[in-house]
Amino acid sequence: MTLAATWDEPSSVPVDEQATRIQIDRSCRPTVLGYYASAVFWLLFGSVAAIMASVKLHHPEFLSQWDWLTFGRVRPVHLNTMVYGWSSMAGIGTLLWLQARLCKVPLPYRLLLPTTVGVWNVAVAWGVIELLAGNSTGVEWLEFPLSVLVMFGYVLFVLFGVSLKMFRERRVQHTYVSQWYIFGSTVWFPILYGAAVLLPATGLVGGAAWATTNWWYAHNVLGLYITPMGLATAYYLIPKVTGEPIHSYHLSLLGFWTNALFYNWAGTHHLVGGPLPAWIITVGIVGSMMMFIPVTTVAINHHMTMVGHFHLLRTSPTLRFTVFGAMCYTAVSYQGSLEALRSVSQVAHFTHYTVAHAHLGMYAFYTMIMFGAIYYVVPRLTRNEWSSPRLIRVHFWSCAVGIALYFVALSWSGWYQGLMMNDPGVAFMRVVEYTKPYLVARSLSGVLMTMGHVAFAILLFRIMRSRSVHLSGPTLFTTADAEALGEAAHA
Amino acid sequence: MKLAYLLIWGSTVVFGASAVWALVWAIRNGEMRDLSAGALSIFDSDEPAGRPTDAFPERGS
Repeated sequence: MTLAATWDEPSSVPVDEQATRIQIDRSCRPTVLGYYASAVFWLLFGSVAAIMASVKLHHPEFLSQWDWLTFGRVRPVHLNTMVYGWSSMAGIGTLLWLQARLCKVPLPYRLLLPTTVGVWNVAVAWGVIELLAGNSTGVEWLEFPLSVLVMFGYVLFVLFGVSLKMFRERRVQHTYVSQWYIFGSTVWFPILYGAAVLLPATGLVGGAAWATTNWWYAHNVLGLYITPMGLATAYYLIPKVTGEPIHSYHLSLLGFWTNALFYNWAGTHHLVGGPLPAWIITVGIVGSMMMFIPVTTVAINHHMTMVGHFHLLRTSPTLRFTVFGAMCYTAVSYQGSLEALRSVSQVAHFTHYTVAHAHLGMYAFYTMIMFGAIYYVVPRLTRNEWSSPRLIRVHFWSCAVGIALYFVALSWSGWYQGLMMNDPGVAFMRVVEYTKPYLVARSLSGVLMTMGHVAFAILLFRIMRSRSVHLSGPTLFTTADAEALGEAAHA
Repeated sequence: MKLAYLLIWGSTVVFGASAVWALVWAIRNGEMRDLSAGALSIFDSDEPAGRPTDAFPERGS
């Protein structure tokens, strides 16, 4: 039976599942690889900006002779390249592949989608130039100028359409839990993004209301965009790699729906202590505490699905990165809920403690899961294997040790920094002196993580360039299995 | 300023309402009917439940 015949008569002919997967992977190839390669480029770019910004905190004179490399410009360049360059592009690539796989339909719009890679890259590059030139809007997470934000908006609405089109044409009756999360990123987020970008343009928002819009948006970037992409991936990869269905599918759905209902209310906890009506902040705190419910469901599910399969962490790179990320999701979410409390915020707000928390979320949780996804997806798209297990180990351990050092150094020093700053008897310069060794540790951990990123970039470059191993079946790491599957596909 | 807050909380309520609408759609569409089959929907006959699908290059699974 030919592949075409399989597609023409889905109801009468049993679908060759392997052939379907291969066809879907092939349809995703240019778009998803384009997103991944760009994502890793921005990861390296953002890492360099991160190290520069970090070193400036303990050696302020470093590169200060050029105004375009001063802290106020390099730091937003780091944040925006990591959020819109690396995280968004890795996430979009993964969710397009996931949605195609879960709907069991090839990726549509084969001409349009690869162009969105170009549009997104041009937007990030233009935004970076504007930031380095000193033209930041000054609004955190929305520092890029309006023209750049409009370009992002265009791509987000294309993704909105693509995601719904695949869902409408799906060949599977059931909507898997990952797909619900994908809808969070592709349907809810573009609308929210549009509101956050357009609201200030109406001129209705200024002062404290502007700050409220800002943090309502910035928190929802995490809750309705980044987190769903990370959890959709984890909910697919952990059961898929271990071969063990999710421990409790009931809980996974409860987790999604409670996340959808509560997360959107949590953003104003960023403004605890700010000049806002108390009820607005209290709503944010209540929303944050309600997040205990979805987080607990995810924690139980990810842990219990892994029980009996922890030995696979020794062999599977995908699983090792993904489970590391999933565990950190639990940690960062509980920590985030607690940080919303006024008593905790009184100490932790405006200190390095918050910075450590942000990195536990964006890096230890999300970035590590995206690494895991790329390790799983790319061999299936390129039909090649990763070239070096040693480099994969270098990647994992540099990043894992790097982020652990980062988190411990900044959490510890940040908490004491907060306590000292709340004590009027402690001179400000003493607080600064106290944090300096920890800031040096932060720079070192940045270098470690960057080493991991370089190893990863080498691996990705090699696997995308190599044309030596072509497999007809899905690529598995063990050659024997891959050959057996290849033969099965031809039989 | 009041209008801005109204817009923010208004859209938050609209988001909540759309989540409830999606949940009602899911229940009516039978998404919650057979959850154990739903959990198995990511496995194929050649990548069945019970078999790991990933390993380090030089180590067998």
